[in-house]
Amino acid sequence: MRVALSGITVRFGALTAVDNASLAIEPGEIHAVVGENGAGKTTLMNVLFGLVEPEAGTISLDGEEMHWASPQEAIRHGLGMVHQHFMLQESMTVLENVVLCAEPVGRFGFIDFAAARRRLAEVADEHGIAMELDRPVGRLSVGERQVVEVLKMLYREAEVLILDEPTSVLTPLEKDRLFATLRSFRSAGKAIVLITHKLDEVMELADRVSVMRAGRLVRSGPLSATSKEEIARGIIGGELPPARQRTARAPGKEVLAVRDLKVAGRGGTVGPLSLSVCAGEIVGIAGVSGNGQAELIQAITGLASLLSGEIVLCGRPIGHLDVEDRRLIGMSYIPEDRQRMGLALGATVSENANAGRDERAAYTRGPFLNRAAMAGFARQLIERYRIRVGGPAALASTMSGGNKQKLVVGRELARDTPLVIAENPTWGVDIGAIDFIHGELMRMRDEGHAVLLVSTELDEVLALSDRILVMYSGAFAGEVAGAEADRERIGGMMTSRAAAALPEVA
Amino acid sequence: MLDLLFDASFAASVPRFVTPILLAALGGALCERAGVFNIALEGFLLVGAFAAVVGSYFSGSPWFGALAAMLAGAAMGLVFAEFNLRRGGDAIVVSIAINILAAGLTTYLLRAIFDAMGAFSDPAIAGFARVSIPGLASLPLIGPFLDGQSPLFYLALLMVPALSFFFARHRLGLRIRAAGENPAALEAGGVGRRRVQLYALTGCGALCGLGGAQLSIANVNLFVEGMSAGRGWIAVVAVLLTRGRPWPLFAIAVIFGAVDSMSFRVQGLGMPQQFTDMMPYLATLVVLVALSWWRRARTANGGTL
Amino acid sequence: MNGMREGTMAREAISWAVALAWIAAVLFILMALVGAPFGDALAAFLQNAFGGRRFSYLMATLSRTALIAGMAVSVMLSFRAGLFNIGGEGQLVAGGLVAALAALLLPGPPLFVLTASILAAMLAGAGWALLAGVMQLYVGVPLLVGSLLLNYPIRYIASYIVAHPFRDVQSGMVQSHLVPQATWLPYFPGTRLDIGLLFIVAASVFAVVYSRTTVHGYHARMNGLSPAFARTVGLPVRKLTLQTLAMSGAIAGLVGAIAVFGIHHRYIDGMLVQPLYAWTGIIAVLLVGMIPWAVPLSGLFFAAIQTGAAGMERSAGVPKEIALVMQAVIILFVASRVSGALVASSERKAGAADDA
Repeated sequence: MRVALSGITVRFGALTAVDNASLAIEPGEIHAVVGENGAGKTTLMNVLFGLVEPEAGTISLDGEEMHWASPQEAIRHGLGMVHQHFMLQESMTVLENVVLCAEPVGRFGFIDFAAARRRLAEVADEHGIAMELDRPVGRLSVGERQVVEVLKMLYREAEVLILDEPTSVLTPLEKDRLFATLRSFRSAGKAIVLITHKLDEVMELADRVSVMRAGRLVRSGPLSATSKEEIARGIIGGELPPARQRTARAPGKEVLAVRDLKVAGRGGTVGPLSLSVCAGEIVGIAGVSGNGQAELIQAITGLASLLSGEIVLCGRPIGHLDVEDRRLIGMSYIPEDRQRMGLALGATVSENANAGRDERAAYTRGPFLNRAAMAGFARQLIERYRIRVGGPAALASTMSGGNKQKLVVGRELARDTPLVIAENPTWGVDIGAIDFIHGELMRMRDEGHAVLLVSTELDEVLALSDRILVMYSGAFAGEVAGAEADRERIGGMMTSRAAAALPEVA
Repeated sequence: MLDLLFDASFAASVPRFVTPILLAALGGALCERAGVFNIALEGFLLVGAFAAVVGSYFSGSPWFGALAAMLAGAAMGLVFAEFNLRRGGDAIVVSIAINILAAGLTTYLLRAIFDAMGAFSDPAIAGFARVSIPGLASLPLIGPFLDGQSPLFYLALLMVPALSFFFARHRLGLRIRAAGENPAALEAGGVGRRRVQLYALTGCGALCGLGGAQLSIANVNLFVEGMSAGRGWIAVVAVLLTRGRPWPLFAIAVIFGAVDSMSFRVQGLGMPQQFTDMMPYLATLVVLVALSWWRRARTANGGTL
Repeated sequence: MNGMREGTMAREAISWAVALAWIAAVLFILMALVGAPFGDALAAFLQNAFGGRRFSYLMATLSRTALIAGMAVSVMLSFRAGLFNIGGEGQLVAGGLVAALAALLLPGPPLFVLTASILAAMLAGAGWALLAGVMQLYVGVPLLVGSLLLNYPIRYIASYIVAHPFRDVQSGMVQSHLVPQATWLPYFPGTRLDIGLLFIVAASVFAVVYSRTTVHGYHARMNGLSPAFARTVGLPVRKLTLQTLAMSGAIAGLVGAIAVFGIHHRYIDGMLVQPLYAWTGIIAVLLVGMIPWAVPLSGLFFAAIQTGAAGMERSAGVPKEIALVMQAVIILFVASRVSGALVASSERKAGAADDA
């Protein structure tokens, strides 16, 4: 099936998310759509899938113009989408997830699960996908969940498959298997759209590439007619920032020590874990999300209580202390979830900037607030971290993702603590902000702070860390020195069970 | 003393107290599973109780009373849906408003329709007769509990497996669970979350209506202002405790119903009414505390949940 | 841009007008049901809410306002901190009961007895609220459920105490003896309005100052906007929760004491429960989206509805429960529009889109 989008424009309030974009998707082709976060890739695909109604422009399938009232219609016409955040019900089984919204029903609307099983057996045979249908999705690894998403599309006989950042949660091996599956779909004549911001994947897999920047489609054409550098320039509209230089320095004394730590996790106990971070080094924790990183960080920061083990910060055991005391001893924390944990979106920039400040006298007068001092401090952060916002009195919710993150980073780093914990600090922010945040973390290291970095982006861990720990299934699978780290070795440590569900790469 | 408490008439009275809580809680389970935070069960029950009296009074048949109660309850569900789902009002705010609306409307209409203050009883209100199912009474242990109850009790009993099966095997049941757990995924699959939740609210209203009918035209033959007397809130607690799963819900409803019935009995034995009135709420608190301690102990032992 | 804003404003205005029309229609239908003349009823409503000989009805409205606004302020402190304390009724009853008992039992000069009783009432209210807080923090019973369930035991305890050990048997009613006359709150000169209102004004001023200018109020509000955020940046969440609940409960207890010393001069069974003061306080807060200075006005509004409706019953034969229906309908139409500001609920809703 041939899909054509022409002149699509989408506006959210004053923001033009997609500006007059046109693009064609051909059967038997893998079409990569690349661009920065916020460039409009996902929005454009949501239009195609019927989740967002465009202000202008048309969608046509095989030359016939379509108007979707809901995604259901798009699905009925053979479109399928794997969203970046999986659209799965964790408490339901694989089977229930696959049939949901496309249930084969018998009398009185009761579901004919036997019929669904028969169909799935056929689909699985055809593409060589094996999956236990009665396991609850909540027990599956991230890679396995993605297989469920692929099964959903196949079950609905989708001819056009849209995958939004499908590899961001996969280990290198799982990624290879996914790509092999996608190639088999291509040979079967399906049209595949791959939304991504990773250029290596584009070069490896795509037949055609479209580049988006700030809502505009800046170029579209066969991959053979362009080069990696040209695509990169198209994405950022200029040259890439130069690669970061790291100054060699010997680590100082130990700032954080974790010994035999055990924490209760969602899928069982995490640990025992031991690690240490010294002054003047960045220790990176790599691994697919959901392997215990979150539990580890919560235990160190005091957001979750430990089952057993010991945590020592600056020579003092802190395992029994609350969050406030741990921060006072010398810990700052850039949480992964800036929307809920990093900021109070309904409060002003100034209120966000001053929350959790150590020097209470600096912004209070007795029991009362010193609003002027609070605003002054917020203004300092805004200037120093180049945060684009209306001012200290603006609501935090009015900032873009990158600027929100800069505010969180600024507030935490300004506390100048011996230990800095950063959890996916550049998740979902634009290239400029990523570069800036990486620079700040490196500066902290060079100034002699201990930095513990948790990231599911392997590239980020590789770029910043002096030492790398790999987490898998609630334990450390190995440690690698930053200088001698390579993707394959770390990828091997990140292995997961999901690899077995997709066929081996031929 | 114990003999006095647990005799045959105690057994017979338990289901009378279980039924309204169970029906309301099953309704609440629909909402809970669908992701609607509905704490207006108290109001739904009250409206049901009133509508049952109206329907029964004017038709002369308790079945029409029950039907009227279901319709009125469902209508309240629709009001909830209109303000919560369509107009985007906060579920707690809408719930509180609906509870107040139910209290005001039933009392107002009691005076407007029947010209009665506080309570209304009339021979024209036809109540449900007790049904005796052959063989049921001779069952060991549970026989005395089951036999000779109002038809609504048996209906409520049937609803437990029915709802369980509905959640597991029915298309709407599956979608209701999806709406509660990950509505974005439901929307991405092309099914509107709000439509599913609307069905859940309507069903919830109808079930609560039936529960109200049990209060007014099965347990007694009259309507009293505020006669739901906190049972809707106890149903809310039961729903929250069990996260809307029908079988555990049944167990909790039986416990609460038994306490309710027991407190009624000890009142007959000379304990001040105020203390017996308090018992269901204290029992609810005790169950809440016990359950959360139990859950905590289980996680502390490091068990895989 | 300007045109767009005008367009939105016009649409806003129309939708408010439609909401008003709906509310009016509901009331009209209800009145038609009892065959009441609409005009007479309206006149009686206004007269009884604000008029009367020497404004005696207005005084009744104001006296009721004190209680409702007091409860609203109490609830607001909790809500703004993200604590869904709907146990105001229990805290109010605890305050009222303790105030009456203390005044009956304590010896000493009237002013001392009055002061001590009011303080005891505030302590009782705070204690009852803390009970719900402790249950949430240390036992894991959600505040919403725990605070609500605690309404019932105290209601029955109070009922028992004035029905048995402290009953004024001769009166034939379920009520305590009168508190010493010297402890009654005086009236404003030349009126029949007790000075209890002043206490509530003070509580309101306290609430506004507290919310806007204190460190504690700031931290509590951060907790209300996002509990996860408050925990992450190391705010003392448990302490904040308990202290806020204690303040909230103390104000509810104060309201109970004012009802005793200013209005009823004894504890009558059901006197604080039946008029739904606590629930009205909650909806008064929700009506104005928890803006501190607007809360007392909102309390006045609902008090006027209630006294006005009582007048309609006397003069036009409209059952006074129409007030409840009116309040509920207003909340449904109005608060469902502003409840986006209800911070406590933000946790239950999915976070707003990030980069869209």
